[in-house]
Amino acid sequence: MPKLIAIVEDDPDQRANYSDAITSKGYEVAAYASRQEALDGFDARMPDLAVLDIILGEEVDAGFELCRDLLTRNPNLPVIFLTERVKEVDKISGLRLGAWDYQSKPITLDYLAERISSLLRINEVRANVDNRSATAKQVGDLMLDQDALLVSWRGTRIDLSATEFRMLAKLVRAPGHAVSYQTLMNATMQSLVTNNTINTHMRNIRKKFEKVDPGFACIKSEYGFGYRWSS
Amino acid sequence: MITPIRPRLTTGARRLLRIAGRERRIRGLRLGTKLMLLVLTLTLVLVPWLSFLALDEVGRALAQMQSHDQLLTAKNIATVFNGREDLLADLPVEPSDYERLIVRAIEGTVRLDGRAADWGEAPSEPSVFGVPGEDGSFALSLGNRRDMLFIYVEVVDDTHVYRDPLYLRLDNADQLRLSFVREDGEDGRIAVMLSESGQTTAFWMDADWQFAEALDPDAELAGPPETRVQGFVRETDTGYALELRAPFDIFGTSVDEQAGRIRVFGLAFVDVDDPESRTIRAVTHTLPTSQNRESFGLVTVRSPEAQKIIEGLAYADLYIRVIDAERVNRAATGSYRITEAATERSWEARAMGWLAAGGNALGGLLREQREPAVDDTEAPLKEVMDSALAGESRALRRRVGEIETIIAGHPIISGGAVIGLIAVEKNIDDILLFQRESIDKIALVAVSSFLVVLFCLIVFAGRLTWRIRRLRQETAAAIDDFGRLRANVVASGMTSADEIGDLARSVSGMLGRLAQHNTFLQRMPRTLRHEINNPLNTLHTSLEHLAQESTVVRDSKYLESAKRGVLRIGAIVENLADAANLEDSLVAEDPDVVDIQQIVESYVDNYSAMHGDHALVYQGTGEPAYARIEDYRIEQILDKLIDNAVDFHRANSPITVQLDVRRDTLRLTVANRGPMLAPEIAASVFESMVSRRGAENRLHFGLGLYVVRVIAEQHGGSVRAMNLVDGSGVAVIVSLPVVDAASEIEDTTPVAAAV
Repeated sequence: MPKLIAIVEDDPDQRANYSDAITSKGYEVAAYASRQEALDGFDARMPDLAVLDIILGEEVDAGFELCRDLLTRNPNLPVIFLTERVKEVDKISGLRLGAWDYQSKPITLDYLAERISSLLRINEVRANVDNRSATAKQVGDLMLDQDALLVSWRGTRIDLSATEFRMLAKLVRAPGHAVSYQTLMNATMQSLVTNNTINTHMRNIRKKFEKVDPGFACIKSEYGFGYRWSS
Repeated sequence: MITPIRPRLTTGARRLLRIAGRERRIRGLRLGTKLMLLVLTLTLVLVPWLSFLALDEVGRALAQMQSHDQLLTAKNIATVFNGREDLLADLPVEPSDYERLIVRAIEGTVRLDGRAADWGEAPSEPSVFGVPGEDGSFALSLGNRRDMLFIYVEVVDDTHVYRDPLYLRLDNADQLRLSFVREDGEDGRIAVMLSESGQTTAFWMDADWQFAEALDPDAELAGPPETRVQGFVRETDTGYALELRAPFDIFGTSVDEQAGRIRVFGLAFVDVDDPESRTIRAVTHTLPTSQNRESFGLVTVRSPEAQKIIEGLAYADLYIRVIDAERVNRAATGSYRITEAATERSWEARAMGWLAAGGNALGGLLREQREPAVDDTEAPLKEVMDSALAGESRALRRRVGEIETIIAGHPIISGGAVIGLIAVEKNIDDILLFQRESIDKIALVAVSSFLVVLFCLIVFAGRLTWRIRRLRQETAAAIDDFGRLRANVVASGMTSADEIGDLARSVSGMLGRLAQHNTFLQRMPRTLRHEINNPLNTLHTSLEHLAQESTVVRDSKYLESAKRGVLRIGAIVENLADAANLEDSLVAEDPDVVDIQQIVESYVDNYSAMHGDHALVYQGTGEPAYARIEDYRIEQILDKLIDNAVDFHRANSPITVQLDVRRDTLRLTVANRGPMLAPEIAASVFESMVSRRGAENRLHFGLGLYVVRVIAEQHGGSVRAMNLVDGSGVAVIVSLPVVDAASEIEDTTPVAAAV
């Protein structure tokens, strides 16, 4: 039985485009235009993954509320946010949404599909605890589980978004070597990325680590070039 | 929708700025408010001036009233005399045989000192006997006070020969002879002998004027001095001045067929010039010797009857005279002199002491205005007499010495003819004093109220201008040099109920609306991004679907250009939103202290390693330069500045990055060789959406330098662009405040320290 992907997007054109793209990848798609419509649909059948637009019509935070609803029903449900609001990124991280991802518009459909399959896979991996250690990578005090998108620092788990995870993974691939902005931009797999976006991401990553370990100083700036991991 | 709004805001903001910068031409005279009020206050001077005018009128009216009063008095007295010729009748109607010797009334006490100055005013010239100016001639004045006859003689005599007591005969020295008819009908002869000491001695004389004679036939000694006749002689340049006093009783009255009882009197000066021979050189008589007897002058004194009548009429300060048709003073009573009034200075007057400078000057000025032209003493009296004797009553002001009086004359009529006049004279010092004190009072009140009002006005004006100035400063400060709103209310004057309060409230209202509009404008990019991104996303995903559906589309070069277009729009919107969000995110930051020197040096190294095509030269001291700022903001600044410099630099010329610290400011300079910056846009290049790149470079929105400015200013610094001194290029200088890092950096993690 194909996985059911729920898409909540108020713009009919975008909704249709997403639906077509995801359906073509072999998933079943349930597309909703409003929060209420979505909730009704979830009552009928819970999806395996949800793609949520944050602003639905007049409701500015409808996406977040839907996300909360979904996670209370199924805490392990992967959720991808689609947003044009960069500032909402902070809100998402504040919601403790786990490793679930957000993507800023405009988004590549291929990439969206890739994200969906990736998250579904990760969800499966996480469900199967035995598999985790196999894919985990240890860099100093840092533990990185590529498949499950799990990070822990000195044994404490750190919640990073998928994008942040990928950037961190790029950074620690060659510890001690500087990684250029361009490389990091590619890692986000997004179409519109500036140095400033990278800086913002890096700042968020640092903050998350510092929350766990105030003395954390492994991410170094290489001014005018990029970043470097030094343990 | 945006286009019409933006210029409106800009002109509005610029106008405010222009007003603040006083660029507008100001119409009208530039008088400060304070000065204007001062000028207005000076018009207060009008008040005392008007009071003075009113007071002058009052004074004049009072004088007028007094004139009327006196005229009435004169008229009343005159009615008593009307038809009473007999009261003045002891005058000989036709004094044909006699030269009249007119005795004038003396008002005050007289000292016998050989001077007639204390006799008061002289109503007429003294009578001169003998050939004027020649030896022996003399001028005679007679006066009367109470029952005494006063004689004043000025004799011309070049040689003074006094009596020699060794001689018994008395006719051998300069002397004054008085001859008259005694009460018993006999001839009376008295010689007044002069002495060098000034004391005179009078003797009754025998018929030949040779020896002194005793009045009493039984007397043992012949000719004792007559002590009732006293006098004093004074030598003058031309001769003697002799002042005598004798009681009227000495001189008897005689009966004249025509005139009844009369009093007659003769006077002669005997001149002896040779002290050796002591012979009489000349005798000058009041009348030439005639007929049978000694010649007498008719002594015309006040009429006792008339005197009696007016005696009771006099009251304080009132001087009543009865003057006959011959202008002879027949009776007089009272005095117009004030009995030395206690001139206790009033409190106002005393207060004048300390306000002397202002008040007295002003009062004096006003008084000066008021003083009428000083008439000479005699003219008004004469005029009054003239008109009264012509049958018309008249009152005039006259000045006698220090005193100013009003003299009123009314004719005395008998049988249709004017037989004399009543002159009533009263000083008007009380009026003048009243006027003077009132003027002083007015001056005092005026000066003090002037000062008080002036003070109040200055305080009021000062406060007003202060409030206006504060409002102006606050209004000017509400919008900064770049036209951004710094405050959306003004604090001063908001609660006052007056017009300045209204102004403050309306300025606040304006600023508030401006702030609202500004907020709208600031939100615009974000709203735009939201609104544009959605259709853009549709476009993007639709393109992808198209490409998948049809291989023709996938291979079409138009797909690629369409995708580029979508990306470009996305980039534009992204940039705009970033710039708009910049200030908010900067405020949210809590930066650490970082070593700028290290960041810049490392940046330049990295940049040079990546971009070999243009040389980046770093000039720094190597000394650490600490500032409180997020490290990636410095990076952002350098990104923008170097991006800008690269765009404008001349090929193969180096771009210089320089860092230096001056006292508490660090300066980060990025300079490039290339086209100069026009001075008029030097400041505006840091404004949002101002680019000097021109139309061909569409991916720049003039946001780079704007971002640099916002970051610098948010950290308490500044940025400016200037042409290089040699004109070969442009330098952009970012100034940031230096932090005394030694203490502050210790407790913070040196995030950016190690490279």
